[in-house]
Amino acid sequence: MAETMAESYNRESEPTTRTLLRRVLDTADTRTPRRRRSARVSAQKALLETPSSRRLSSPTKMNVRRRSHRARSIGRLAHVHTSGNLEEQTPRTLLKNILLTAPESSIMMPESVVKPVPTPQVVQSSRRESSRGSLELQLPELEPPTTLALGLLAPGRRKQRLRLSVFQQGMDQGLPLSQEPRGNASASSLTSSLNLTFATPLQPQSVQRPGLARRPPTRRAVDVGAFLQDLRDTSLALASPGDSLRTPVATLQMDTVLEDTQPFSQPLVGRSPSVYHSLPCTEAEDAERAVSHRTQSSGPRLQNHNPRKPAQLLAAKAKKVDALAVSFPNNSSAISGEDGVEPLQDGVGEEAEERMEEGLSVSKVMDTTGTQGSVRTEKSKGYREMTEAVEAKEPEGSSGDEDISGRTASTELASSTTEFLQARRPQFLEPAPPPSTAVLSSEPLEPLSTRLPPRARTPGPRPRQDPHKTGLSHYVKLFSFYSKMPMEKAALEMVEKCLDKYFQHLCDDLEVFAAHAGRKTVRPEDLELLMRRQGLVNDQVSLHVLVERHLPLEYRQLLIPCAFSGNSVFPAQ
Amino acid sequence: MEEEEEGSGEEQQRFSYRQRLKAAVHYTVGCLCEEVASDRGMPFSKQTIAAISELTFRQCETFAKDLEMFARHAKRSTINTEDVKLLARRSNSLLKYITEKTEELAQFNTEQKAKKKKKLEDDNTKSVVPAEAAAAEKDGS
Repeated sequence: MAETMAESYNRESEPTTRTLLRRVLDTADTRTPRRRRSARVSAQKALLETPSSRRLSSPTKMNVRRRSHRARSIGRLAHVHTSGNLEEQTPRTLLKNILLTAPESSIMMPESVVKPVPTPQVVQSSRRESSRGSLELQLPELEPPTTLALGLLAPGRRKQRLRLSVFQQGMDQGLPLSQEPRGNASASSLTSSLNLTFATPLQPQSVQRPGLARRPPTRRAVDVGAFLQDLRDTSLALASPGDSLRTPVATLQMDTVLEDTQPFSQPLVGRSPSVYHSLPCTEAEDAERAVSHRTQSSGPRLQNHNPRKPAQLLAAKAKKVDALAVSFPNNSSAISGEDGVEPLQDGVGEEAEERMEEGLSVSKVMDTTGTQGSVRTEKSKGYREMTEAVEAKEPEGSSGDEDISGRTASTELASSTTEFLQARRPQFLEPAPPPSTAVLSSEPLEPLSTRLPPRARTPGPRPRQDPHKTGLSHYVKLFSFYSKMPMEKAALEMVEKCLDKYFQHLCDDLEVFAAHAGRKTVRPEDLELLMRRQGLVNDQVSLHVLVERHLPLEYRQLLIPCAFSGNSVFPAQ
Repeated sequence: MEEEEEGSGEEQQRFSYRQRLKAAVHYTVGCLCEEVASDRGMPFSKQTIAAISELTFRQCETFAKDLEMFARHAKRSTINTEDVKLLARRSNSLLKYITEKTEELAQFNTEQKAKKKKKLEDDNTKSVVPAEAAAAEKDGS
C-alpha cells in the first residue's frame, strides 16, 4: 500500500482526471488481490505522462463518459500490460479498462462514435500509415509516440479546435489539418476515425438535411407560354387592386416559403427577410390573378407550372436583378414565338416579378413593353433568333427605349395581347427542358410547389385560412418526411384536411369535457379523459406510463410529481 | 382449492349471465330488424342480425365504461343525464332526441312534484280543518 501511495504522490505534479482517478483506484479500499499489478501498470502510465510538458487542468469530474472524450493513446501503450486484468470483472477493473482502451472520441466529432473500442497503439500507427496512403492526405510526419502522447493529452485544446465544420471540411478535402504542431496527432486520430467512418457513409449525411437527401431531384418541365401568360395577367391585375392585398398575403406566403427551405424548422411567423419578401408576395399575387383572370381550362396546368416557376425564381433570383428590363419584352416575344427558350423566360419571370413588387407603374411599364414587344415580334419572323439574341444578354439599351415608349402605352393594348396570348396558349403544349440558368436545388422548392396550388385556388378567403393552415403544413411536412414513399400533392392536401378536422374535433371534445366538470379551463384531467376515450390510456396503461415513455425529461417533470431537494414536490399535488 | 372452485364457478356464472344478456339483446335486435324489414320490404339475414346484436352488446359495454368515466370526471358517483348527453354528442340527431326526452322527463318530474305538493297541501289543510273543526267544536261545546 505504501509503495502505491508513494507512486501516486509522485504523479501528483500535474493532476489530470486520469491521474485523479488512478489515485482513487489505487488508494481506495479494494477486495481484489490483483491491485498490485494494476498499481504497477498505472505507475508505468504515470511515467509516460510526466514527460509531457503541456498539461491543461481539466475538469475533475469523475464521469467516465467525460473521460472517454480525452485522448487515450497512452492507455494503448499500456494496453498490453493490462490485458491480464481483463479476466476479472470488478467495477474497478472495468473502469480501468475503459480508461485504457476507450477510443479517442470527441463530442465534437460525431463520426468517432463508430470507432471500435480496443485499438492498440501498434495497429493504430499502421492504420494511420495505410490511411494516409489511401486517402492521400497531406499529413505532417508522424512524431514518435511520446509527442503523440503530448498532443493527445491536451484534450481541452483539441476540443476547441475540432469544430464540426472543420471536421466536415476535413471529410471533404481529405483532412489537411494544419492548425498546430500537434495537429498531426489529432489529424492522425481523425484519419483513423475517417477510415472507420467510410464504413458508414450514411452518418455524415445525417448531419445535413436528411429530408432533402431522401428526395430524388425531380425536375418538372415548365410551360413557358403558360407562365408568361400568368405574368401578363398578374401585371394586368396589379393595376386594379392595389397594395391592400399584398401585405397580408406577403407575410403569410413568407412563412410558407421560409418553412420550405428547412423542413424541420418551425413556421417563422415574425421574420421579415428582405430577400424572400418580394418573391412570395408576387407569387401569391400571380397565383391569385392567374386564377381569377383565366377563363380557359388550362388553369390546372398553369397552376402546376406556376408554382414551379416561382419556385425556380426564388432560387435563381439573385442572378437576374440587373437584366430585367432587357429580357422581359424579349421573352414575351418568345412566348408568342416558340416555347423553346426556357431559361430566358424563367429569368424574365423572376425579374418581372421583382419589378412588379417594386412598383405598380413599373410593372405596368413592363407589361406594356412586353405587349409591345410581343406585338412587334408577332409581325417579325424568326422568333427563335430574337430570343437567342436576347439570351446573349444585351445591355439595357433596347429596354430603355422600350421603357420610355411603354409609359405612354395604354392597358388596352395589354388586354388585347393577353387575349391573343390566351388564344395562342393551347399551342404551347410541349414542356421545355428545365432551364440551365435556373439550375437550383429543386428539392427544397418542391414542398413549396406542392403547397402553392391549394393556395391559389381560393383567392378570396385565403388570408383568413392561412394563419391556421401554416401550422398544419408543418405537420404535413413531417408526415411526408416519415412516410416511406413519395406522396402525391392531393394526398398531402387530404392529410392536411384530415389533420384540421382532427384537431378541431379534439379541441371541441376538450372544451366539452371541461364544461362537463363545471370548469372553464382545460386541465390535464380533461386530456386524460380524452385519451381514455381514444383508447390510449386504459386499465393496463396509465397516463403516467405514456408520459414516461414518450416525453423528454423536462416535460415529464412538469407532469409527474417529482420529489426534489428540501422535501419539495413539483408540481404540487 | 375452494376459492378456485368458487372462482371458476363464479366465472361460469358470469359467463352464463353474459350469454343470457347477449341472448336478450339478440332477441330484441331481431324483433327490431323484423319491424324494419316489414317496413322497407327487405328481409334481414341471420348473420346480419347476429352481427348487429354482437356490435350492440360491445357498444353497450363501451358506453357503460364511458359513462362511468364521465361521472367520475365530474366528481360524481352517480351517472347523470348530463353524462348521457355527453356520450351522445357525436351524432346530432341522437343528441337532439335525448335532449328532448330529458326535457320531457324533467317536465314530467316537475308535474309529479307539483301534484305531490298539492296532495300534501290538501292533506295538511284537511288535517288543519278537522283540527279547527275539533277546536271549534270544543269551543262550541
